[in-house]
Order: sequence, then structure tokens, then C-alpha cells
Amino acid sequence: MSTTLALQLAIAGVSVGSIYALVALAIVIPFKASGILNFGQGEIVTLGAYLALILTQLALPYPVVVAAVLLIGAAGGMLIERILIRPIVRAPEFTLVIATFAIGLLIKGLLSIRFGDSPNSIDGPFGSDPVVAAGLRFNPTSLWIFACTALVTLGILAFFRATRLGRAMRAVSVNIDAARLMGIRVQTVYRWSWAISTAIGALAGLLVAPLIGINPEVGQLVLRGLLAAVIGGFTSIPGAIVGGLAVGLIETYSGVLVGTAFKNLVPFVLLMALLVFRPQGLFGAAEVKRV
Amino acid sequence: MTDRLAVENLSVRFGGVIAVRDLSLRVAPGEIRGLIGPNGAGKTTVINAITGAVRMSAGRILLDGEDVSALPAHAISRRGIGRTFQHVEPFGELTVLDNTLLGVGRHAPVPFAHAALATPLARAREHDAVRDATAVLERFDLLPYRDTRASELPFGVLKRMDLARALAARPKLLLMDEPTSGMSESEADRAIAAARALAESQGITLLVIEHNMRVMMALAHTVTVMQEGRVIAAGSPAEIQRNRAVIDAYLGEETADAVG
Amino acid sequence: MRSRTWLITASVAMLAVAASQLGSYPVYLMSLAMINIIAAVGLNIVTGNSGQISLCHSSFMAIGAYGSALMTAKLGIPFWLSIPLGALLAAGVGALLGAPASRLRGIYLALATLGFLQIVQVAIEELADVTGGVRGLTIPKAEWFGVRVSEYARFVIVLACCAFAIWTARNLLASRVGRELNAVRLSPHATQALGVSVNRVRLAAFALSAAYAGVAGGLQAIVVGFIDPVEFGVSAALRQITFIVVGGMGSVGGSVLGAAVLSALPEVLRPVKEYSDVIYTVILLAFLIFMPHGLIAVWHAAMRRIRARTISASTVEA
Repeated sequence: MSTTLALQLAIAGVSVGSIYALVALAIVIPFKASGILNFGQGEIVTLGAYLALILTQLALPYPVVVAAVLLIGAAGGMLIERILIRPIVRAPEFTLVIATFAIGLLIKGLLSIRFGDSPNSIDGPFGSDPVVAAGLRFNPTSLWIFACTALVTLGILAFFRATRLGRAMRAVSVNIDAARLMGIRVQTVYRWSWAISTAIGALAGLLVAPLIGINPEVGQLVLRGLLAAVIGGFTSIPGAIVGGLAVGLIETYSGVLVGTAFKNLVPFVLLMALLVFRPQGLFGAAEVKRV
Repeated sequence: MTDRLAVENLSVRFGGVIAVRDLSLRVAPGEIRGLIGPNGAGKTTVINAITGAVRMSAGRILLDGEDVSALPAHAISRRGIGRTFQHVEPFGELTVLDNTLLGVGRHAPVPFAHAALATPLARAREHDAVRDATAVLERFDLLPYRDTRASELPFGVLKRMDLARALAARPKLLLMDEPTSGMSESEADRAIAAARALAESQGITLLVIEHNMRVMMALAHTVTVMQEGRVIAAGSPAEIQRNRAVIDAYLGEETADAVG
Repeated sequence: MRSRTWLITASVAMLAVAASQLGSYPVYLMSLAMINIIAAVGLNIVTGNSGQISLCHSSFMAIGAYGSALMTAKLGIPFWLSIPLGALLAAGVGALLGAPASRLRGIYLALATLGFLQIVQVAIEELADVTGGVRGLTIPKAEWFGVRVSEYARFVIVLACCAFAIWTARNLLASRVGRELNAVRLSPHATQALGVSVNRVRLAAFALSAAYAGVAGGLQAIVVGFIDPVEFGVSAALRQITFIVVGGMGSVGGSVLGAAVLSALPEVLRPVKEYSDVIYTVILLAFLIFMPHGLIAVWHAAMRRIRARTISASTVEA
């Protein structure tokens, strides 16, 4: 493989990996705070893509679309937390897994009914003419995705470190009883963790729409996001980002090395291998072995 | 004669916390050994390590001279170690009979195909198991609760079921974790008398964690005292009661118990 | 007990005879319903009884379906042998998956089974030469020693398999096997202390559930005459979970009730086919939140009340 090809693949890998990183982030944040893994996260991304479609069709300027997607996404997250998550927060694990799964499938079903299977798409904010630099071609949308992901990552890390709400969220994820005793309102923390998660998920949908189009199947990429979260160790924010980029790179390279036929198998085989041999991923803490 | 149980240099650590340090003890067959110590001394961890529920960081466990340290928990139980739990750990949805059947059935398992096809062999084995379990229930005054779900039982009855279930498996060595906690004084006296009678009549060796000093002194042949993961004293109940280190370790707690 | 067995056998026989008077479409629907029951019985064993979340149950159906169909088509093995062999194959894969998976808990197990589901889907699509890929696989009509098996005969075969599945499952759950399955879910710690290997029981549950699914898959192939890979995807997995949640987890009666009731749905909903996923998920969510013990619990509660009233009535008379 020539260096140029390797680097081009790396660029493609990092750009799609950024989306996976955002999805992983959206999964890990509420999991850290409330212990609930949202199996329906993929449909949040799909919703974000359709939201972008609707807003774009209303001829709103791109910055407005971005802001609207984030705000509506956040509001949606608060609604989901209030209506769907709160009734089941104390339920047994089976209920939590299946309920979030079912909610995702419900959303997908409703989207299929409303929009049908007809493909839709929107344009990237900077057009699709590749930017050439250092002998490499960069898709401007890919650059934009990477920039947004970097911004979001830094923003989230700053949020957790420097803001009161962020520190409260960390406290709740470490020891919820101690956090309560310290006067932290756990309900508020939950609500905001879901709001942030859906906002990020919706943003991912907006960002990825120019690349893969807008249809109810967009949510399938949650599987890559879940793999990224596992690699990252499920409770590590930087781990989720690294995991996402890793999955993107693995996917892009395996497409060339393994051939299109079985390239789709690679992420799942990797997922199962990790779950069996190293469920804490690369960044998580190993659990004390008990019965 | 080989010890029924020999624990050699047992250490257990959880992350950075050392729960048990370099602990050794030996229990002779038929002996009733008490294991006492203030809260957090590591007594339950010792039992968990012996049964294999928790991984040891160092040390060996020998049952009748055989090293069982590396065996998985269920295999250790099969070698003849039973236990009762501080918080009972019942199979809540199952009846008292079913709970006890799980203790009994292990000695005559039903092959899978027979169970699926309800063959005469399967039915005979089930019949025998129910008969044996019912006998155990009778001995522990649990027959009135036979078909009651464990989750609906009062705590004292639950404790009795825990003991019945463990003994139904006919262990050589029974580890009891705070068997009288949550019981009234009279309930505790009766339970302990029954345990001692049972152990002596069936030759079962007992290792009993007890917080209640009075009960311990009446039950145990010898006592091992733990504090902060280590053994600080061992001997007969009378010797232990006079031991300086033990009194110091317990002073705050014992006074509270005596007054309260 | 003996009289109850005769009663049930008689009812099954009557059902078989009555069905012979119905048109071929109702018979076809009932066959599908009973296939759903077999699958639900298997899923309930691994999820309801042994407490392991399995999102890949439909994948074992796929293995049973493709396995038996290909054995018939390529090796000339007749259906009455290829279906059990297909189930055995599914059980073997179930054991292979169960070996590592049974050590996982909660979300990690859910993720692993989800991963397996995707692997099977991708394998079906990519091995298109063998499986027909996304376009599906047409099954030649089942033959019994050279004679075409009629629609009604297939119904009777499915009925017999369904009755057998229910019977074996009930036997297992009433025996030591069933107690161990539940024990592993209720308290792994106590189970280990009683000398039962939690991992072995969990693995066995996976293999057993896969066997039931494999039978269901093989039967579905000959009843429908066509294998559509969509039937083994995420929607199907969720549908089967809905069967056992609605019916009641952990009991064979619950599996039968849930699968039977919900299998009647597609007929009622025929005009609104696109809404299938939506309706199933709404039903599932409603039951998870408001009736987590399923319809069977309602049935049991009603039975208890009737019995209590009969007892108090008779004591009043006495």
C-alpha cells in the first residue's frame, strides 16, 4: 500500500471515526451518570439527520440549523428522560436494556411511516469540492466533522472539569449516595446528562447526513458507536473518542485489506472478542472477579 | 489426624484494600470453631475465600489435606463445604421446598434427557429428592412453610431455611455467617442448640462467625479472634474472654452490646 | 395427573381434526402461531428462567432454517431428519456462543448477543451463493418418501412438534434442571455454594434455547416454503422478546399465551402492515412498565381468587 493511499484511508477513517466518537460519547455520558445504556442511541442520530433535513428544507442558514439541532436535541433529551427514562430507572437490568432498544425501534418505525424509504440528503456546509493540501485530498465535510468532534470533545472535557453541573455529574457517577448527601440534586444531573447526550447524538446525525444520506437506517451506525464505547471502557470520555477513531480507522483499512465481502464482519468480531477477553476495553477499570 | 480445614497464610485484597492479611487457622474434624471480631475485621471475606466466591491474593486452603485453592466455587462446595449467608441469599421466587430441593438433589442428579421426557427414572429421582427434602424440612420445623415463597417468609424462618438448605447438601464442613443475626434471644438460643446437636450427631465440622458473644461462648469448642484482617488471638472461649487484646479490640462494641 | 394428560392429548387431537375443516389460510396462520410458540418457549428458558438477555434468538432460528433447508436441498436428507439435525446444529452453535457469553452479565451480554446477531446477518448476506443472500431462499416442497406433504399434513407436524416442545419444557422446568435454571438467576452466589456450576447451567440454557429456536426455524422454512433473512433480524428478535414479556417470563404457559395472543395480531392488523414494528414496541413498552409479570400473572391471580372464593364458600356451608 502506498503512503498516499494509506494516508488517504487514514483521513477517511478519522472522519467517519469522528462520527463514531460522537455516538460513543452520547452513549457513555448518560451511562456514567445514571447507569443506563441507551440502545436506542442510533435512532437519536437518525432523528438528528431528519431534523437537519426539515430545517434545511425551510431554507434556514446552516449556523441556525446547527444551533437548532443542538437545542431541539437537548430539549428532546430532557423530554425522553422525563417521560421514558424516569419510570424505569429502578427497573431490573433486563427492562432497561429492552426498553431502550424498543424505544429506538419505535422511533425508527415512526420515521419509516412518516418519511418512507425514499432517500433524502442534504449538502455539506462547505460544498463537496475536495481541498488539496500536501498532496492529499480532503473532503471539506470530513474536515468539518473532525473539527466539530474536536470542539465537542474539548467542550465536554471542560464541562466536566470546570462547571458545577459537570463536577456534580462526575460525583454522581462515582458515588450516587455521597453525591446526594453533598446536596447534589441527582434528578437534575440525570436530566442534563440525557440532554447533552441527545444533543450530541442529534449533532452527529446532522454532520453525517451529507456523507451517507438521510434514511431510517442511519441508526445502524450505533453498533460501531457501541464498539467504540466498549474499546474506550464505557466510562471513559477520552476512551470513547479514541475508541471511535480506532473503529473508523479499522473499518476503513479493513475495507481495503479484507475485501468488501467480509469487511462488515470485522467490527462485530472485534466487539465479541473484546467482550470475551477484555470487557473493560483499553481504558476501563477491570472489575474485581466475583461469582 | 488431618485437619478438616486448614487455611494457610490467606491474604485477600480488593483493589488497594487488604481485607485479610496472612491468616492461618486449622479446624479438626468434628470441631466447632468460632470466628469473631469487630465489624470490618474480614470474617465474611475469610469464608468467601474458603468457598471460592472471592479470589485469594495469596495462601492455600486445604480440605482434609487436599488443596482446593484453585478450584472453582461450585467444585469446592461439591467437595463437602456448605455455607449459610449473613443475608440469607434465598431463591426468593421459589418455595421453601424448592430451595431445599436444590440442596438435596445434588447427590442423585437427573440426566437431562430423562428430565425432558419425564421418564420413570426422572420421576423416581424427583420423588426421592422430595422425600429427602421433606425430611430436612421436618427436622427444622419448616413443614408449615413448605409451599410458601421464600420472599414471603419472616426473617427468622428465612434463616432457618438457609440452614436447612445448606445442611440438605450433607456437607462435611459448614461455614455459618452470623446465623443468629436478626433473631430474638430465645430464637437464637434455640437455633444454636439445634446447630450444635446437629453437628455433633452428624459429625459435621462447623466454622461459625458470630457477633453475639454470649451465643459464641455457649456454642464453640475453640474461638479464633480477628481484627483488621489478622488473627489476634485463638483459644478456648474462657481463655478468649480473659485475653487482653481481645477485650481491647471489642471494648467499645461489647460495652454497647452489653448496655443495649 | 394421568387424567390431565389424556385431557390435553384429546384436546390436541380435537384441534387437529377441527383444523382439517378450515380453509388453508387459517391453517397456515395457526402453523405460524405454533412456530412462534416453540421459539418463545426456547427464549423464555434462557431469558425468563436463567436470566440471560439474548438478543440473538432469531439467529438460532436462522441456523435451523438454513441448516435444515440446505441439508434437504444439497444432501437429499428428508425434512423429518434435517429439521432435528438443524436444531442440533443450532444447539451446537448456541453452546459455542454460550461458553464465553454465559460469563457476561447485563449490558455486556446484550451487546455480545447483538454482535452475534449482526455476524449471522452479515454471513447470510455474504454467503449468497449458499443462502440466497438478501433475496432469500426458496425451499422445495417437503416430501415424505416421495409424496408431497400437504398443507394440512404440515400443520399436523407443526402441531406435534409444538406439543412436544411444550411438554418437554414443562418437564424440564418441573425438574431439577428447572430449579437450577431459576436458581442461577435468583442467586448465583447461593447456587455456587450448593455445588451447582453457574456457568455450566447458563451455557446449557443457551444451547437448549437454541435447539428450540432451531426447530422453529426449520419448521418455518417448510411451512412458508421460503426463507427471508429479514425474519432473523433485530425486529424479529424484539418481537420474540415481546412474546415472553407479554405472556410472562419464566413460565411455559407465559410463552404459549404471549406467542398465541400476539400471533393473532398480524391478522387483525393486516390493513396496517407498516405499523408492525411500532405496534409491537408500544405493546412491549406498555407491558414492561405496567404489567411486567405478563398476562399469565393475571391468569394466576384470577385462579387464586376463584379458589379462595370456593374455599370460603365451602367453609361457610360446612
